[in-house]
Amino acid sequence: MKITVCIGSSCHLKGSRQVTEQLQYLISHNNLKDKIELAGTFCMGNCQNGVCVTLDDKLYSLTPENTTEFFEKEVLPHV
Amino acid sequence: MNNLCADIGYMSLNHVGEELCGDRVDVVEENDNSFVIVLADGLGSGVKANILSTLTSKMLSTMLSQGIPVEDCVETVAATLPICSVRKVAYSTFTIIHIINNEEAELIQYDNPAVILLRNGKNYEYPSTETVVGGKKIYRSRIKLMENDIFIAMSDGCIHAGVGMSLNFGWERKDIIEFMETIADVGYTAKTLSTMLLEECNRLYENKPGDDTTVCTVRIRKRCPMNLLFGPPSNRADGDRMMSLFFAKEGKHIVCGGTTSTIAAKYLGKTLKPQLLSPDPEIPPIAELEGVDLVTEGVITINKVLEYARDYLADNHSYTHWSFKRDGASLIARLLFEEATDINFFVGRAINPAHQNPDLPINFSIKMQLVTGLSECLTKMGKRVKVIYF
Repeated sequence: MKITVCIGSSCHLKGSRQVTEQLQYLISHNNLKDKIELAGTFCMGNCQNGVCVTLDDKLYSLTPENTTEFFEKEVLPHV
Repeated sequence: MNNLCADIGYMSLNHVGEELCGDRVDVVEENDNSFVIVLADGLGSGVKANILSTLTSKMLSTMLSQGIPVEDCVETVAATLPICSVRKVAYSTFTIIHIINNEEAELIQYDNPAVILLRNGKNYEYPSTETVVGGKKIYRSRIKLMENDIFIAMSDGCIHAGVGMSLNFGWERKDIIEFMETIADVGYTAKTLSTMLLEECNRLYENKPGDDTTVCTVRIRKRCPMNLLFGPPSNRADGDRMMSLFFAKEGKHIVCGGTTSTIAAKYLGKTLKPQLLSPDPEIPPIAELEGVDLVTEGVITINKVLEYARDYLADNHSYTHWSFKRDGASLIARLLFEEATDINFFVGRAINPAHQNPDLPINFSIKMQLVTGLSECLTKMGKRVKVIYF
């Protein structure tokens, strides 16, 4: 499973660093480091809905506030 | 002709309690490869000293750059300077560094501490001849320039730093040489070298300089071209043309901006590998791309670089940040301020719709202002800057 976080200008300003840090924490806290690959990418062309995150090929729009919810609902059940 | 160039940087500390500096550095560019640099130290401190040194440096630099013999220049200065009502003399010491075609340096010195020359990081004692002009003993030297030569001109405030405070007799010229030899090889710019010496003087003065203190450094270095790509072209069809012109240029290549780097990666046929987290939370991460020396995010990073550039031209405090950090803005600052002498900006004028949001501080007009601001700053640093818009 691969999670990609946009680190472009817009998403950076909307908190992509915090989202990335939370995901890093959640992944290591749940011992999923060898199952989930976390990567960065430049602009995905969907800046209005940042922070842009893709889970495999599905696009999500996250904020630092709903990152944990996203991880619990969309990631954990599918690992 | 050779491919050397002179990097000139100077800074001053004011006598404690004074708003004006009694020392003055004036640089006149005769042509692309020749400069007259004058450091003058006016008698006393404050307004009077400031007027004396300003007159002296301005007259000497202007006259010498017009090819007038130094004897005539000195006589003119002596006849012009107002006479101090307290001390009954008109007096300003001076040091002249005349860089000729980036091949030769002519030093003309009157009563300032002798210019230090570091050649390949070590002190080099150059020969001087003494001439007397209007009762003033003037020392003249001619030196063939070599790459990595560093000339350090000072006002006497430098060697008097710390007298009666942290040191009995101040530090001497030989102590300054020792201090500068340790930092000469690092590759700091002339401005940073001047700042570092001045900070040491200020420390010896315990932050209360007892005299105006000025350092002017001239560093002889090879020309180094640098190219920076910023933003996608306003017309999509121009992408390939922009990329081929950019990558055809000699020197290092920096690509700024997410979309821009994606276009560059496509043109090069290589994969873009972004870093996940930047070492600095304020600056977005950088990326790796084969064939490009540095890939960074766009507007936020460049905005920080511009902030560093403005500070560099003012009091240069933030070199302690950008001179070693690994975030995108610091890396660009080092490449542009320290390494580059000739900079080509390739600026794309496409408008990113996502950035035209009033909540975000990154809209299109800001981007264009960043380019103008940065190229102005770099020109003031003595670099040759070209901006091409697409």
